[in-house]
Amino acid sequence: MMRMLGFAALGLALIFLLGPFLIIAGAGFSSGDLLVFPPQGFSLRWYGAVFEIERFRESFVLSMQLAVGSTVLALLLGVPAAYAMARYQVPGGEWIRTIVTAPVIVPAIIAGLALLRYTVIPLGLPVMAALVLGHTALVAPYAVRVVTVSLTHLRPDVEEAAVLLGATRTGAFFKVVLPNIRNGMMAAFILGFITSFNQVPVSLFLTGPGVTTLPIDMLAAMEFVYDPSIAALSTLLALMSVSIVLIAERVLGLSRYV
Amino acid sequence: MFADRRIGLALAAPALLFVGLAFLLPVGILLTEGLRTPAGWTLSRFTTFFTDPLALEVTFRTLRLGFGVTIMSAIIGYAVALAVIETGPGNRARMTALFILPLMISPVARTYAWIVLLGRTGLINKAVVGLGLSDEPLRLLFTETAVFIGLLQLFLPLMVLSLTSALENMPADVLPAARVLGAGWLTIFFRVILPLTREGLIVGGTLVFTGAVTAYITPAVLGGAKVLMLETLLYQRVSVANDIATASVIAAILIAMSIATHSLIRRITTRRRA
Repeated sequence: MMRMLGFAALGLALIFLLGPFLIIAGAGFSSGDLLVFPPQGFSLRWYGAVFEIERFRESFVLSMQLAVGSTVLALLLGVPAAYAMARYQVPGGEWIRTIVTAPVIVPAIIAGLALLRYTVIPLGLPVMAALVLGHTALVAPYAVRVVTVSLTHLRPDVEEAAVLLGATRTGAFFKVVLPNIRNGMMAAFILGFITSFNQVPVSLFLTGPGVTTLPIDMLAAMEFVYDPSIAALSTLLALMSVSIVLIAERVLGLSRYV
Repeated sequence: MFADRRIGLALAAPALLFVGLAFLLPVGILLTEGLRTPAGWTLSRFTTFFTDPLALEVTFRTLRLGFGVTIMSAIIGYAVALAVIETGPGNRARMTALFILPLMISPVARTYAWIVLLGRTGLINKAVVGLGLSDEPLRLLFTETAVFIGLLQLFLPLMVLSLTSALENMPADVLPAARVLGAGWLTIFFRVILPLTREGLIVGGTLVFTGAVTAYITPAVLGGAKVLMLETLLYQRVSVANDIATASVIAAILIAMSIATHSLIRRITTRRRA
C-alpha cells in the first residue's frame, strides 16, 4: 500500500517536472498564430521560424560567445588555483578557497548591479566586457570545484616521479598532470558553459541596447510575443542542454563531478 | 616538491585577484551604500525599509514562499526518494539522471511552460471552464500560487537528489528491522528514517530555500508587478527609481540569508567527513 503511494508520488513528480516541457514542445508544433495547447493543427512552421528571427539569432550568437569565452577564462584562472590548493600548503588556504568560491554565495542580480555601478561605468567598459567579467566570476567556483575533484584523484607521486626522471616542473605539469585531469576540465567546461548560457540575473543590469543574451532577450520578448515562437525556441534550447549533458555523461561520467 | 608556498600562492593569485577586484570589491561597495549618507554612517535605511509596508509585505512573502516551497519539496521529496530507492540500484542511477536533467535546462524555458499552462486560455483554465467548474477563466497567472508552483518545479530536484543520496547511505536493514519489530509506517518515518537522513534533509532544504528566496526569473514572469519578491523589488527599485540605497538594503538581507544557509551546509558536510 505504502509502496503504491510512493510510486504514485514518483510518477506525479516526474510529470510535474518534465510534463511542462512536453506541453511547450507540443505548443511549438502549432500551425496557428497563437500560443495554445493543444496546438492548432500540426506543422514545423515555428521551429523553422525561430531561426529567421534576427534578434534571437544575434543574441544566440552572443550567448554562445559569452559562454565559451567566460568559461575558458574561468578555467585559465581556476585550474592553477585548484592545483595550488590541492598540492601546496598555501598560507591561508581556507580563506583563498572561500574567496574564490564566494560568487556562489552572492545572489547574481546583486553582483550584476555592483559590477555595473562600480566597475563598468567608472571604467567605461563595453557591454561584452562587462558580461564576460560577471559570467567569469560566476563560473570560476565551478571550475575550481570540479578540477579540485579531479586533482584529488591523481596521486602527487606521478609528478614527483616525472621530475625525478628529469622533467622540469612545468613540463611535468603539462605532460603528466594536464592529460590526467582532462576529463575533469571538460566536465568543468560543460557545467560552466551551461551555467553561463542559462544565466539571467547577473546579465540583467549588464546587458545594453542591442547587445543582449538569449535568455534576457527571451524574457523581454515574453511581454509582447504571443505566438508559439518562444515555445519552439525554449524546446530547442532544452534539447540542446539535454543532449550536451547526455553526451557528456556517456563520455566523461559528468555526474561524478557535480 | 610542493613545499615552496610562494609558488602555490603565485598560482592562486590570478583567481584570487580577479574574484577579489572584479567581484567582491564592487559587491562590498554596494553593501556600504545603504549605510552611508552625505552626513555620515547610518542605519536609517534599514529602519526605513522595515517600516515601509510594501517592503515588509515583499520580505514576508519572500520568506513565506521560501519556507513554503522548502516544506512542500521535503514532503514530496521523501515520498519520491523512498520510491527511487525501492526501484533498485540499476534503475536508481537512471532515476537520478531524470531528476538532474531539468536542472540543466534554462530556467527561462522551465518557467515559460507555466504561462502556457496557467494563462487565461491555458490548459488548466480550459479544463476548469470545460468541466463547468467555473463560468469564466480563473486568474492563475500573476498570483502567489503561480510563483509557488514555478519555484517548486525549479528546486524540487535539488531536494530529491539530496534525500536520495541520504537514503542510499542509510543501512539497508534498518527498515525491515523496524517492520519486523512491529513499527507502523508513521513510527518508521519519524523514529528511523527522519533521524538517519536529517543531514540530507538540511542540505536539500537549505539549497531549496536559498534558491527560492533569491530567485528572479520565476517571480518576474509568473508574479509580475503584483507579486513582488525581494529580487524583483530590487530590480524594480533600481530600474524605475535608481534607488541604490534600497537595493543595498535588499542586497544585505539576501547575502546575510545566503551566508547563513551556506555556512550551515558547510558545517554539516565537514562534520560528516570528519
